[in-house]
Amino acid sequence: MSKQTILTNGRVYDPMNGIDGEIKDICISDGKIVERVEGPAKKIDLKGRLVMAGGVDMHSHIVGSKVGVGRAMCPEDHRKDPVPKTKSTRAGVGYTMPNSYVIGYRYSAMGYTTVIEPALPALKALGSWEEMEDLHNLDSGLLPMFCNSMITFHYVREGDLSGLAAYIAWVLQKVGGLGVKVVNPGGTYAWAHGVDLRDPDGEVPGWGITPRDITRSLCQAVESLGLPHMMHYHPNNLGRVGNIETTIKQLDSVRDIKGFRGRKHVMHLTHMSFETLANVEGAGTEWKDIASGGLEFAKYFNKNKHFTADLGQITFGPATTMTGDGPFEFYLYQLTGGKWTNIAVDVELPGGAGIVPYTYSPKAAGNSVQWTIPLEFALNVDDVWRCIMSTDHPNAGPFTKYPLVISWLMSKKQREIWMEDMHKFAHERSTLPTIDREWNLYEIAISTRAAPAKILGIDSTKGHLGVGADADIAVYDADPTKVDFAKDPERIIKTFSTSYLTFLRGQQVSKKGVVKGTEERKVWSLHPELNESLWERINKELEGLMNDWYSHSFHNYPVPERYRSHLEQKIPVDSTSIPA
Amino acid sequence: MTEESGMKENIVCPFCGCLCDDIALNIESNKITENKNGCSISQAKFLNHRDDRLEMDAPLEVLVKKAAEIIIKSKRLLVYGLSSTENDAHREAYKIAEEAGGVVDNTSSVCHGPTILGAQESGEPIAALAEARHRADFIIYWGSNPQFAHPRHMSRYTRADGFYIKDGKKDRQIWVVDVRKTISAGVADKFIKINPGCDLEVISALRAIARGKILEVDEVGGLPISELSDMIEAMKNAKYGVLFFGLGLTQSKGRHRNIDAAIRLIQDMNHFTKWSMMPMRGHYNVAGANKTSTWQTGYPYAVDYARGYPRYQPGEYTAVDMLVRGEADAVLNIAADPAAHFPKEAVKHLASIPVINIDPKRNMTSLLAKVNIQTAIAGIESDGAATRMDGLPLYLKKVVDPPEGVLPDRDVLRMIYNEVRRLKK
Amino acid sequence: MSRVGVEAILTSGRTLKQGRAMELGKLGPEYLKEVSFCEMDKITLKALGLEEGDPVLVETLYGSVVVESKLDRRAEPGVVFIPCGPYANAVIGSDTEETGMPDFKGVPAKLFAAKGESVLGVKDLLKKMVEGA
Repeated sequence: MSKQTILTNGRVYDPMNGIDGEIKDICISDGKIVERVEGPAKKIDLKGRLVMAGGVDMHSHIVGSKVGVGRAMCPEDHRKDPVPKTKSTRAGVGYTMPNSYVIGYRYSAMGYTTVIEPALPALKALGSWEEMEDLHNLDSGLLPMFCNSMITFHYVREGDLSGLAAYIAWVLQKVGGLGVKVVNPGGTYAWAHGVDLRDPDGEVPGWGITPRDITRSLCQAVESLGLPHMMHYHPNNLGRVGNIETTIKQLDSVRDIKGFRGRKHVMHLTHMSFETLANVEGAGTEWKDIASGGLEFAKYFNKNKHFTADLGQITFGPATTMTGDGPFEFYLYQLTGGKWTNIAVDVELPGGAGIVPYTYSPKAAGNSVQWTIPLEFALNVDDVWRCIMSTDHPNAGPFTKYPLVISWLMSKKQREIWMEDMHKFAHERSTLPTIDREWNLYEIAISTRAAPAKILGIDSTKGHLGVGADADIAVYDADPTKVDFAKDPERIIKTFSTSYLTFLRGQQVSKKGVVKGTEERKVWSLHPELNESLWERINKELEGLMNDWYSHSFHNYPVPERYRSHLEQKIPVDSTSIPA
Repeated sequence: MTEESGMKENIVCPFCGCLCDDIALNIESNKITENKNGCSISQAKFLNHRDDRLEMDAPLEVLVKKAAEIIIKSKRLLVYGLSSTENDAHREAYKIAEEAGGVVDNTSSVCHGPTILGAQESGEPIAALAEARHRADFIIYWGSNPQFAHPRHMSRYTRADGFYIKDGKKDRQIWVVDVRKTISAGVADKFIKINPGCDLEVISALRAIARGKILEVDEVGGLPISELSDMIEAMKNAKYGVLFFGLGLTQSKGRHRNIDAAIRLIQDMNHFTKWSMMPMRGHYNVAGANKTSTWQTGYPYAVDYARGYPRYQPGEYTAVDMLVRGEADAVLNIAADPAAHFPKEAVKHLASIPVINIDPKRNMTSLLAKVNIQTAIAGIESDGAATRMDGLPLYLKKVVDPPEGVLPDRDVLRMIYNEVRRLKK
Repeated sequence: MSRVGVEAILTSGRTLKQGRAMELGKLGPEYLKEVSFCEMDKITLKALGLEEGDPVLVETLYGSVVVESKLDRRAEPGVVFIPCGPYANAVIGSDTEETGMPDFKGVPAKLFAAKGESVLGVKDLLKKMVEGA
């Protein structure tokens, strides 16, 4: 089989290289995009079809203990969505929590090539690496959580930023993590003490520190380490009417922190739809008082440029909420009265992650306003490079509904069609009906490819189609010059639901929805190198703390190379300047 | 090539769901001569690993071929076991089931399967072992006899001192609820004896009392209402409670309904204080079997591939039922002993069909098997990964070499899979 | 002929020695010793006219098995215990009520003195189960 391919006559959208709908050839050699190809090459004439880099999803729950527990506890989620095996793909099931194989195949069929798991309890990392073995057709990465860990609290309380940074570096090396995840800092821990800590300045029981302290310390540690991806943040007080106030407070709390080498963004706020609920002027904070905070947040976002955000767009229909925000899930359980799981985790997430299946309805007052929030926000931002499309899969909706979300962003007509049968609050409590703006293909390419790669810090080889990039390419079956997407939203959905061709590292892995399974992919991780004395110090301290606090040995904490080395792509980070 | 001699520390014990990882072994010339820290069952497992091995009556390649032929000829293959071997072996087993269009079930169907069913009804507030040690001031063992089935559970986790519970004996209460006074009941702070088969009524009564209902009876399940009320009071007054439950709840009358009721009770208690629960998983990697099955097939056990995709139904695709109904016409048994642990009717059918038995040691199933293949013991003679009862994955190390020519389960299963594919062509 | 029997609920489960014996060898003498007894309280033992160690016949709707009687000093009448294994399985039913789980615990049983009878070895017990009585 030829290792060289030339895609001709594609209409390319490659924002990282400033290409906005030009007909361009793309040359692939040995898994990379090259200037030109010497020797024999397979030529594919795309006949004017739309071409983008392979999709980069920076926040989707695809592997790990809570994903597994969710799958196991909801067999009804899978029964109506069976996926038979084929000659080159394994069998499986969908729907909001597919098995590992089907996750990889379905993303691949949609033109996605990199998907990051955003919440890992680091001590359970071995399990996630095992699952990665069976997540085919995708490059991936893991974000370990740090903000409810007793060890983090220990360093924060001591004001020991070096120790905190070293702890982060040690964990990232030992479990192969790609960044620092923060979920309800201090809040989930507090819940192990029966306290629902939603105030950023409230005290974490027994430690004398606040969520603000934890947030700032972790932010400073990440910046001092120089990690490519900034702190990935799920704030306190999620999912409550009026919480836009606390979210802004927490964003303000890191505004003064200097980014590594002067970089502008020091935080990535994830699934903003759950964190920017406003309330009707003068009313209370019950669900009946809900209003969209999307516009207000867009104004804040345009003025305060120190962070990026992803949407967490509600898509309506069945979803499964699963987060490291145990107390929020307990709250949701009290609203639904259905199934509720909480998973306590030794030392690192005492209050536990939570899982609650949930169905969003356009006829429900609260859900309809929740739907308007991220759209109202996205359609008012100045800088799409800071605004990422996501559904926090499977929390707000399954990733298979991304094309639907794209259609809402690109087509006012589509928004109107959907709002026709929606609860009146969608009209009354949000400005969305008045918004005419429609995103174009270039902006979609930014928000689903270029920007996420940049924010993750993997943009040298991902999220673009320039020379030197990995040949991760998505070709869609539409000629942008012949289609008016805004007027034909069904066409948007059809186009983005199934790629015409998907390439992963130069290998053709999907054609018109028929997927070829491949194990040729990588799991990205960071290797932050500390100076010798800090490295020695942290190993000694962690051995003591871990042997005291965990119920297994410090020596059995790291994920063995045997599960990683064939998959791992380590990004070296020079953090040697951090004092011991 | 394994080190021939010396001390090996932080070894994970592959016996029960405690997955103790502080075992220290003395190795001399590829022999384990000492096991420090392990309980008496752990001692037996490590020190006697070379004894009583499964005899193979032909070279491995011949046996693999025979096994593949049995699979090819079968119409309804049942793949079973898995809980006493490591995760990579599981992955090979699902591949075979998928290829053969057969059923793959693991031992949870006769162990904590009902717990999974209960969680599928209601969810589950799951505890963690270090968290129990640090915070729990009230522990209940219900239908579980840890001193016998999980010998170090109490000394390592529930009687041990913690971060907040400074004295594991004085600052913490341990109660045992059971139908007979077991040895664990003997060392607990309180023993509550309930009538056999009455767990569902008792738990439901507790739930009602917790919600403030007045029950118009004097006693439930052999317990006076006053004692049940006292129990709820104690549970509500706890700061952090953990309910460990065992086969007394899953195997007696009510089965999954018992678990569902217990789950709902613990969920209710979270309105007053903090409570969580944990199933006492028996085999060291049965939790791992559920995990691997779930990420590979979408379902935790009782999976059928007859239509080319996974389907799930306990009662239909569970091993005991498939055997009792006479539906399975061939069995691939991996690291389990159904002949010893299944009811008579199931064993009778098992004896009438071709059985491929993959195990390091002889057991009752090997007496019935048509093909016996000896494999390396995971966690001693081969490496792998396993999952503790609270979901923590641990790496099992290879500490000594297996007997000459003996391979890990995963390698043998891969060979069988490849031979099945070859024969199909 | 009259038979004096005692009704009880039969339950089964693990014991430390059974666990250890499994690891020593499932076809060995230790294993046989650790799974082929029935533990009962002293009143039941007396009512049956047995000395500890005498053979006892345990009969249920699903079958019967002869095992060694054993005294459990902590036990009270009404519940008897056979460790999990082939001897317990010889007398429990296989109906899982569509749950996958048979009735391992809580089978109504009748116990009778079986002086003079012998406890079958593991291999012979298996043979009997398979050939079916």
